[in-house]
Amino acid sequence: MQNRIMALVLGAAVLAAPARAQTAKLPAPSPVEKALAARAFSVDEVTLDKNMLAFAAKFMAGKNKDDAGIQHLIDGLDGIYIRDYEFDKPGQFTAEDVEQLRKYFETSEWSPLVRDRDRKTGESTDVMIKLVNGKTGGMFILDVCPKEISVVLILGPIRMDDLGKLSSLGGLGALGTVEKSVQDKEKKGGHQ
Amino acid sequence: MRRLWWISIAVVALLVPVVVLAGSGESEFDSVVHSIESKYHVRANRIPFLGVVSMISENTTQGGVGGLHVADFESFPGPVDGEELNRLVAQKLGAGWGRMIRETSSKGNEQTLIFVHPGEKRMGLFIVDLDKNELNVVELSVDPRHLKESLDRYQHHQPQGEKDVEGSE
Repeated sequence: MQNRIMALVLGAAVLAAPARAQTAKLPAPSPVEKALAARAFSVDEVTLDKNMLAFAAKFMAGKNKDDAGIQHLIDGLDGIYIRDYEFDKPGQFTAEDVEQLRKYFETSEWSPLVRDRDRKTGESTDVMIKLVNGKTGGMFILDVCPKEISVVLILGPIRMDDLGKLSSLGGLGALGTVEKSVQDKEKKGGHQ
Repeated sequence: MRRLWWISIAVVALLVPVVVLAGSGESEFDSVVHSIESKYHVRANRIPFLGVVSMISENTTQGGVGGLHVADFESFPGPVDGEELNRLVAQKLGAGWGRMIRETSSKGNEQTLIFVHPGEKRMGLFIVDLDKNELNVVELSVDPRHLKESLDRYQHHQPQGEKDVEGSE
């Protein structure tokens, strides 16, 4: 009898394990983000985990072509994570802080895709993509203005062609520009 | 006689967990409101006839919005530690709820937390909003398909000029 109960418990655990593994957790924010949050005038965070995205994808199904594109794009994603730090005056964060944010994603898995710097205004945009076996497995966008820092992290397989469609979702407006940058880069690469 | 004795024991044994569960069955909404009350030493104003309002909203939106609960804290005592409030709400809501949106100001007098609970067909929304000295707690259940249909209908009827306002910015 005891063996039977043990077998039942082990069986249930084995069955439950893959279900648990499927819910990918978003990585913890980099330590510098805590310091930025303490100095920021306001902090906005949007977190869409796999469950929420899967739920949203269910209701995107329709005749509308754009909806179908968004559904296709978000269905396979593991999560979307946005943080926006707004400061009441310039100079409340240093170049070192921004560099630390960048370094958090400068690992062998992540490759820089867009690197834009404006020395006059101090504004910068970085886009990095995560490549897993030659396929896109995530995207990291860091947008820095004198009084604002925006961090966007998208985890999961991303189709660059559909990326701009996500720009209609709140807080992801920058993705339209990213899609255009990627297309421009591809065009330039093709002409070389 | 002995059989009757066993039956009564069995009935009591079955009833005890039911009574205990019913007694501890505080809803997530009440649990969060009570925790805020005891943590910040304030009393919530409950809106009278909210059950009726919820029923009417469910009918008028054809099931789009329902299960409405509202608690309003007037004269909420000053700024709060956003992290502490967030922890309190998340802890009381428990598993199944995920925080989707958090807005917080450094001075602590403006805080917004939106938690969602995706279900099979409906989605639970739990909103905690602090604006200076007023804190509102709202729970509702929405049918996303219904809401999307309404939004699509609105976009369909929107004049072309209005549609392009966002894109032209």
